[in-house]
Amino acid sequence: MDWLDQELKLALERKEPSPDFAARVIRRAARGPSHHMQRWLAAAAAVIVMTSAGLGYRHHQGEVAKDQVMLAFKITAVKVNHIQTHVKGAVR
Amino acid sequence: MNLLRGLAVAGCCAALLCAQQFTFNLDHLAAKASDSVDISLNGPTLQFAAKFLDSKDPDQAKVKQLIAGLEGIYVKNFEFKSRGEWSQADLDSVRQQLRAPEWSRIVGIRSAGDGETAEIYVRNQGGKVTGVAILAAEPTELTVVNIVGAVDLDSLAALGGHFGIPELSEQKDSGKQKGTGKRAK
Amino acid sequence: MTVLEAPPETALDFAGLVREHQSMVFSVCWHFLHDRDLAEETAQEVFLSLHRNLASIQSAAHAAHWLRKVAVQRAIDEGRRRRRRPQVALADVAEPVALTPARDPMLAETLRRLVATLAEAPRMVMILRYQEDLDATEIAETLDMPVATVKSHLQRSLALLREKVTRRGLGGKKWIG
Repeated sequence: MDWLDQELKLALERKEPSPDFAARVIRRAARGPSHHMQRWLAAAAAVIVMTSAGLGYRHHQGEVAKDQVMLAFKITAVKVNHIQTHVKGAVR
Repeated sequence: MNLLRGLAVAGCCAALLCAQQFTFNLDHLAAKASDSVDISLNGPTLQFAAKFLDSKDPDQAKVKQLIAGLEGIYVKNFEFKSRGEWSQADLDSVRQQLRAPEWSRIVGIRSAGDGETAEIYVRNQGGKVTGVAILAAEPTELTVVNIVGAVDLDSLAALGGHFGIPELSEQKDSGKQKGTGKRAK
Repeated sequence: MTVLEAPPETALDFAGLVREHQSMVFSVCWHFLHDRDLAEETAQEVFLSLHRNLASIQSAAHAAHWLRKVAVQRAIDEGRRRRRRPQVALADVAEPVALTPARDPMLAETLRRLVATLAEAPRMVMILRYQEDLDATEIAETLDMPVATVKSHLQRSLALLREKVTRRGLGGKKWIG
């Protein structure tokens, strides 16, 4: 096997997380439905708040998207125009 | 060439390639760039943005017209403080993908004196244009654009006259040497 | 992939799955994100997602496949969310414990740094190839990517790494197995 393949296998070999990682994950998962219910309730409350402010946020999102589109086409326009200038200069 | 403020704008696609028609493979240049622009806008986002474009503004009206049939626009632009930060291999990895049968190069320019190259490719399927790719390179700037969908090439070509760019017919010689670019194929 | 039905007496045990696969999940996240805390946080989220979806997991093999796919996706999402490439100052970060000692620590660290500079897609391809020993077809399935693209990423990344390592005067040693 190629030396680079061997070295990459070593360099990218699996590592171990913290010694208590598994225990933490199992404990967290064991909190189960009540923990999830709290999260869902919090999320639902957030949605209600956001919906009432939703129009403003959506407008903001739209403005951001619009700016991105304009910038994308501005860059495109600059490059296309540059190419056209060169072509026109070559054709003369 | 106008300098553009670096913006990092996240795309909304979950998959690695989004709806782009080829991979840019240029993310590694971001760390070396003094300014960079990264735009990924898929079809739904474009149509959403279109609602906020002001038809009374000539530039915005032009863009609104252009994006009507589009499925996405993806732009990566990098500006560097010094030469040598990007290599031909970076562009070749894009060009390689544009050698696929459905892509055709419709124009290419090279300015040996300025070290500039630029190319436009068009994607054809069933006799219809389904995408455009623009590659533009200068010693300290690299730009790749992929416009996906039914691109109106005439409208794209007519972008001059907008965004503060003079129309081609209005442009005086800008100091570029005449006849140094290769004739377009 | 053939999914086998688990016999009733070997019903999936979440805690057992965590212990069995924590190294794989954490390592995918760590090699991709190069931030130990973030990698553990992301790995934890992967396992919590497994816990929520445990009913739909059909076998131990399915669990392993599912975990790897979700770990890859979460690592990529987290990397994008943070809007930064992994910083390669590995000397400042406590190195997680390796399962086997590296033969040449300097070369191994250099390779890890170089892999960290790769773009998102080739970086994950390299991790799946060399950490998980997946072949191109398996990598393509995990990443939802054409096999040809996977091979291209591997080829280019290896060429780049080989060039950078040999330029530094490292590597090229004969492997004595």
